[in-house]
Amino acid sequence: MIAVEKLVKSYYSTTVLHGVDHAQQRGEAVVLIGPSGCGKSTFLRCLNQLEIADSGRITIGEVTIEGGHSPRSSGEREQQRQLRLRAGMVFQSFNLFPHRTVLQNITQGPIVVKNVPPGQAEELARNLLAKVGLEHKAEFYPAQLSGGQQQRVAIARALAMEPQVMLFDEPTSALDPELRDEVLRVMRRLAEEGMTMIVVTHEMHFAREMADRVLFFDGGLVAESGTPEQIFEHPQHERTREFVRNVTR
Amino acid sequence: MSNPRRWSRPLLFLLLCPLACTPLSGPAPDHLAEIKARGVLTWGADAEGGAPYVYPDPQKPERLIGFECDLAGALAEKLGVKAKMVQNQWDQLVPGLDRGNFDIILNGLEITADNQQHIAMSLPYFVYAQQIVVRADTQGLAQQENLKGKPVGVLSSSVAQGLLEKMGGVDLRIYPGNVESLRDLKAGRIEAVLMDLPIALHYAKPDPGLRFSGPSFAPGYYGIGVRQQDASLLAALNQAITELDQDHTLERIYRKYGVWDERQEGLKDYQPEAVTRKKSISTLREWPKYLPLLLRGAVTTVELSVLAMALAVVAGLVIVLLRLYGPGPVRWLAQVYVEVIRGTPLLIQLFLIYYGLPELGIRLNPFLAGILGLGLNYAASESENYRAGIQSIPHGQTEAAFALGMGRWQTLRHVVLPQALRVVIPPVTNDFIAMFKDSSIVSVITMVELTKVYGMLATSTYDYIGLGLMTAAIYFALSYPASIFANWLERKLRYDRR
Repeated sequence: MIAVEKLVKSYYSTTVLHGVDHAQQRGEAVVLIGPSGCGKSTFLRCLNQLEIADSGRITIGEVTIEGGHSPRSSGEREQQRQLRLRAGMVFQSFNLFPHRTVLQNITQGPIVVKNVPPGQAEELARNLLAKVGLEHKAEFYPAQLSGGQQQRVAIARALAMEPQVMLFDEPTSALDPELRDEVLRVMRRLAEEGMTMIVVTHEMHFAREMADRVLFFDGGLVAESGTPEQIFEHPQHERTREFVRNVTR
Repeated sequence: MSNPRRWSRPLLFLLLCPLACTPLSGPAPDHLAEIKARGVLTWGADAEGGAPYVYPDPQKPERLIGFECDLAGALAEKLGVKAKMVQNQWDQLVPGLDRGNFDIILNGLEITADNQQHIAMSLPYFVYAQQIVVRADTQGLAQQENLKGKPVGVLSSSVAQGLLEKMGGVDLRIYPGNVESLRDLKAGRIEAVLMDLPIALHYAKPDPGLRFSGPSFAPGYYGIGVRQQDASLLAALNQAITELDQDHTLERIYRKYGVWDERQEGLKDYQPEAVTRKKSISTLREWPKYLPLLLRGAVTTVELSVLAMALAVVAGLVIVLLRLYGPGPVRWLAQVYVEVIRGTPLLIQLFLIYYGLPELGIRLNPFLAGILGLGLNYAASESENYRAGIQSIPHGQTEAAFALGMGRWQTLRHVVLPQALRVVIPPVTNDFIAMFKDSSIVSVITMVELTKVYGMLATSTYDYIGLGLMTAAIYFALSYPASIFANWLERKLRYDRR
């Protein structure tokens, strides 16, 4: 479902990704952990083209994009759009559209990008809102919701595009602890339904319980990968051991 | 300023205190003694387009020449002092004298009953007449009556304006100076100009594209204007003029500037007419007569401002989109446009559009030129307002839209611009209100809008305060609803309510 080959990304003189390889099956839930600045967020942002990799190749479903430059032709732009349509993104800071109601936040993408008729988009949106437990907030504005509720709307918004993969970039980091669970519950349910996901997170409980595979990022590379049990109970590398010891203490 | 009529109202009195100090100190002393003590006679005149009266020497532009310049020197010599010219817009010379900006007016001021309502006038020093000037290829229009139904240019507050207004039926265009009307005549915007003969002799006669149409008519006298209380100054000036006429100094000066004609022989036959002082006018008390005139000007102000603002709002959007998202060279051009427009005066831009474009074959009427000038000028500031608004939208919004698969334009259209709209409402409203007031500048290209109507009524009634209060009230009545509307719109677009 996802194949990443030799992904390299640098900002000015700092290289953030040193040729990352990654392959992921359909329905697999992968959690990225690692110290801050290790490149895990950048990796995720490269996947749906919010960052353009310097080199390497990204495949999601049947769409492949070569790194190196921003799209220059309309063909390349269409290719980029196709890749983004396959990857739903959830941001740390939600990034809901403040001038639209909850319902409009969810229907906007399908209507504008996929030309879904408004009625149909609204039906879809209401179903998704029910799924994240917010059907009663459809007419509210984002500013009227709590952070946890906003993030659940953001998940519904991404799902409305019917992506093949969901990317979560530290989805609970901006939330108060008591609001994190409602978001994690929604994510857990998605994983159980067989959604292919990549989650960057510091929630080790979630990683342990839900991940099919955990990748430990360090220094712009996947330093170690394995089942949660392997990573958390029997880490092979010194750096992994140190990190796991620190975050689970 | 001996007329006590308006001082009766305490409010107006207070308002006027900072404007005029002289009337507060009781009967003003005669200025003649003061002038002699100071050694300088100051004379008010307008040197802008002022040939052959007073104008900068083309060879040495820092020096003023002209027959009135020489005359002022000769008069001052008779008084035993030096002459010093004070620049003052022509149609504001009488109020300028009233306010004490200079001692006398010496600038083609016609001896008329109107002019003598508020100031005293000397014996005449020059006999002028009215001359119709047309394009060289124009037929007919040799008499004043022929001008009916035609667009005709005149100098603001001149005798020509009065003559044509009295006759009626003329499509009158009022210019702040003499050069502009002849320019518009040549550009084909008007069919004729009616002006004082000396001006026509200097500006129109040498121009092969123009010709005098018919003989000059309606002769009259130029006199020197002095404040009414300056009786001994007036007497001294009258004596000086008589002497200068008798010793042929006047003839010598007038011949030097090519304005001498046999009519000047009539100077000595001048019989002053008795001037009956009209009762002073309180435009506030007679508001039903004046308010409609002001309101008619206000209609033009509103039309101009609304259309110019509509242009600015749309053009500003185009400019900001080109500047932020256009290809390299276009971005650069948009930025240059904004900087150049912001960095140059609106007045110059208007002149370029109105008087400059005809040389490229683009001839706009004053109304269109006004809208274009104001609109394109404001477009630059609107584009900057928009830019600030667009850049205030967090980058996360754009990323979220991109992540949903929206393209650049879709992101702008559905995510960025709607949010920026609310941010830019206050500064754009501010500009709209400023536009109401800035639109008064189009009077320089002959548009008669609210401020111009005020100016014209004020110079004929001398009730600057009453008319000023009415005019200010109209401007306020126009801008205040705009600000209420903006507040309402801003509230309506609030999406962060809890």
